[in-house]
Amino acid sequence: MDGARRIVEGLEAGGVTLAAAVPDTWIGALTTAVRRSPRIRVVDAAREEEAVALACGAALAGGRGAALMQNAGLLNCGGVLASLVELYRIPCVLVVSWRGDWRDPVYYHAPKGRVTEATLAAWRLPWARADRAGDLAAQVRRGVEFAVASRGPFVLLLSGEDLA
Amino acid sequence: MTPRRAYLDALVAWLGPEDVLVSGLGANARWLPHLPVRAPVFALCDAMGAAIPLALGIALTRPDRHVVALEGDGALLMSPNVLATVAAARPGNLTCLLWANGHYESSGGQPLPDAPVDWPALARAAGIAEVARVGDPVGLAAALGRARAARAPSLLVLDVRFDPAEEIPPYSERPEEIRARFRL
Repeated sequence: MDGARRIVEGLEAGGVTLAAAVPDTWIGALTTAVRRSPRIRVVDAAREEEAVALACGAALAGGRGAALMQNAGLLNCGGVLASLVELYRIPCVLVVSWRGDWRDPVYYHAPKGRVTEATLAAWRLPWARADRAGDLAAQVRRGVEFAVASRGPFVLLLSGEDLA
Repeated sequence: MTPRRAYLDALVAWLGPEDVLVSGLGANARWLPHLPVRAPVFALCDAMGAAIPLALGIALTRPDRHVVALEGDGALLMSPNVLATVAAARPGNLTCLLWANGHYESSGGQPLPDAPVDWPALARAAGIAEVARVGDPVGLAAALGRARAARAPSLLVLDVRFDPAEEIPPYSERPEEIRARFRL
């Protein structure tokens, strides 16, 4: 089974009902897989801060929300994470393509790759790297459950290999 | 031009328990705890620009409820992209009220960039068909009724008088209180 499908299984198992997405090459492939889910509504967002707020709206209304984006978008989201997700303590899962790490062949992503982990640490966001060698679906489900239980954010970083 | 409280009072009188109200930061969010709102309220105190996408997430998750989002023109100018997101999602139960007074009221009343932004035209250009400009409280109640009946996303532009002397109450509810009370 491909990685994207396993991630979708994990989102479904975690009870995610709405996934708001801003694509890059990798997240676009993941979003295509999510659209096949009968349980998750995909909302195409024009910008990543919207995707976070959309996911929060789903949570406030009794569903569970996820936001899918590139790490460039994560870097855009400092304000809304602090002033909406953290301030109001709303569960929100972010599935983020980690562009620019050593596995990414595209040179212009490298500056984003270098600051991603440091930014997650500075913003005190709970996060994990996707573990494709392990049970990726279970990891995603646990991430969703962590966000719900802790009433806050959880970030899962994906490489291109994780989606293959 | 109409003062804020006249619009707010008309909105509060119109809202019923089956509606849901999401307010962006600023004066409206600060007034709402002092008004007899019959709908559940989720009010932001920061998160500039988040009210409409937050309301969209609620509307899509609860299509049985009519959701009203209050946003300021400064906040929407910061993230007008959300208009296209709303148009694409096509919620049949979301009405956005844009409070246009041309100023960043919360930060001291600075003027917005001096450009004649045509909000109804911008919303239509983004794909929102149900758009109206509202000029007085009676018109607001009528426009809200049409918006709720439209079964399509709507944007109502309220021309609000900017009043630097308005005595806006401070935020009186904490986010955890707002979050805990918001039940649909």
